[in-house]
Amino acid sequence: MKKLCLLLGLLLIGQAVFGLQAGEKKWRVGFSQCNLGEPWRANMYEDLKREVAKYANEIELIHKDAQNDTSVQQAQIREFINDFEAGNLDILLVSPKEAAPFTPIIGEAFQAGLPVFVIDREILSDQYTTFIGGDNTVIGLAAGKWTAEKFNGKGALGVELQGLSTVTAAQERGSGFHEGIKGSDIKIIFQVDMKWLEPDARQEMESALSRFPKIDFVYAHNDPGAHGAYLAAQAVGREKEIAFLGVDALPHEGVSYVKQGILSATFLYPSGMDLAIEHVMKLKRGEKVPKRIMLATKAYDKEHPDGVTIGEPVVTW
Amino acid sequence: MNPTVPLGNTPSRPEKATEVSGLTSLFAKPWVRAFMALIVILLIGMIFNANGTFFRWSAHRDMLRQTSVFGILATAMTLVVITGGIDLGVGSIVAAVAVIYSTFLMALPVPFSAASTILFCLAVGAVFGVWNGFLIGKFKFQAFIATLAMMTFARGFAKYISGGRKVMNAIFFPDGTFKYNPVFPEITDWLNSRILGNNIAIVTIIMLCCMFIGWVVLSRLVWGRYIYSIGGNEEAARLSGVPILATKMLTYGLSGFFCAVAGICQAAQEYQGDPEAGTGYELTAIGMVVIGGTSLAGGRGSIGLTLIGVLTMGYLVKILSLNAVAESTRLMVTGAIIVIAVLFQSSRRK
Repeated sequence: MKKLCLLLGLLLIGQAVFGLQAGEKKWRVGFSQCNLGEPWRANMYEDLKREVAKYANEIELIHKDAQNDTSVQQAQIREFINDFEAGNLDILLVSPKEAAPFTPIIGEAFQAGLPVFVIDREILSDQYTTFIGGDNTVIGLAAGKWTAEKFNGKGALGVELQGLSTVTAAQERGSGFHEGIKGSDIKIIFQVDMKWLEPDARQEMESALSRFPKIDFVYAHNDPGAHGAYLAAQAVGREKEIAFLGVDALPHEGVSYVKQGILSATFLYPSGMDLAIEHVMKLKRGEKVPKRIMLATKAYDKEHPDGVTIGEPVVTW
Repeated sequence: MNPTVPLGNTPSRPEKATEVSGLTSLFAKPWVRAFMALIVILLIGMIFNANGTFFRWSAHRDMLRQTSVFGILATAMTLVVITGGIDLGVGSIVAAVAVIYSTFLMALPVPFSAASTILFCLAVGAVFGVWNGFLIGKFKFQAFIATLAMMTFARGFAKYISGGRKVMNAIFFPDGTFKYNPVFPEITDWLNSRILGNNIAIVTIIMLCCMFIGWVVLSRLVWGRYIYSIGGNEEAARLSGVPILATKMLTYGLSGFFCAVAGICQAAQEYQGDPEAGTGYELTAIGMVVIGGTSLAGGRGSIGLTLIGVLTMGYLVKILSLNAVAESTRLMVTGAIIVIAVLFQSSRRK
């Protein structure tokens, strides 16, 4: 026990000395993540760590994962507010699980003077510092235009594998795509939900393949869906005659599928962590930051295996 | 074997077909009732045939492939349900095994051989199952609780091994970069292929083999008699010398073993190990067992009935898919069909 106390004491002294040497005060950046269990969010965390590491001398990260539980995330934001009031936190980044339950508590943090960046999912008020998120309609539009460019004039027939037709993200990825192919002779002949899941996408694509002798492309609302569709087509030897399009473009999923020639294209749903940390630094330096940043997408295809940015982020002050 | 009961009936409670005659006696048989639900579904398929697609073999072949993993799980579920128990852990064990299979074969710098990988996966499944049986038999845990714990644990285990990420043919390095291995293991390609003139999926053959094993256990072995007698009346079984603990450990162990088989099939068909795989599969498997006519109260049912239940659900899913029915409608239709199918069964228990 004595040894343990001694060790702890030494650690504390070391910490104090080290802290004094560091000079200027580091900003403590809190991040409240709704669910690290999703691959896209796991990738977001990797992006975040990489961006924070660029400014390792100026900011440090405190990350909390709510594991897809609303009340847990609310409690974690409450802890962050307490940290702020105790002087142990300088800025909060929140990717809320859903809008309504988090609108009051994020507003409360903002009112208390804590700068809050809302990431990816919006809340129902403007009581926050900055919103940064991707735009599913823009992504769908990019995919639609890509398809129109490649297939217009050929009477192409396509399959749309929707994430879940009752979910906003899927509705927007769909409506953007249909906007993008408007005016062309491209037709969607089979449109069905695959619940964002690869095995379900494979099953739905099997049905489409049984029904339709001619399919020119598949637009899936995520990359696993496109991959499942590819496996279904491969099983009946039709994968070469079909172009597979996905969304999300995670490095080890969609982007690699494009590089391996499995998908024809994938469109990035950006995490926005680079811009988030850039604006944290701006705030730290006392600069003004915009109210909303809607992120641009990137297309990855055979010609651009490392991605090409489509459009610009839309910034609102 | 009694030719009028080709799918294997419950040995412990033979139906007294001699008391009634003709059509009435036919409809008293559980497998006839189960068939009625299947026939209704097939009729629906013939009406909503998606421009004739339902009449092509490819639709049926694909249905069988798609439903195979569920069929294997339903076989596992049938065994434990007849003991009067339930196994909520099946979907999570699928994920754990899928992740182990993919990690061993693809994600290690030096991959394991196919044989050792499969043996290890099967052993993991069996150990998980035996542990369930041990808790239930030795410490008198309710099956619901013991397997609920396994459902949670195995899911966590799958996420722990995979780091929460799908295990694919990318080998990750500590700095976050990765390298792709373009060649998939031969065993995975084989499991994902078809035989008999490209007409039936390997996984479907595997499902039928699992069902055959389940049928042998229930209908041909003393072990099967023990399973039925425990489900019928555990106290009576104990007093008449049935080894309760051993039977439960073996039965849940076999259930875990089948889950591992399903996990391997799942991973091979996806070419990856998804730690989220199998979520909700336990409920589908229970649905298939119940639609077949195996009683959740235990002591009654058979693998043959479960096969009919598997086909009923499989065809329902396929018909909804062929007709591109929206997910919200699918859920409502599936709920309604479960009620109708069980109604076909219910008068038997009066």
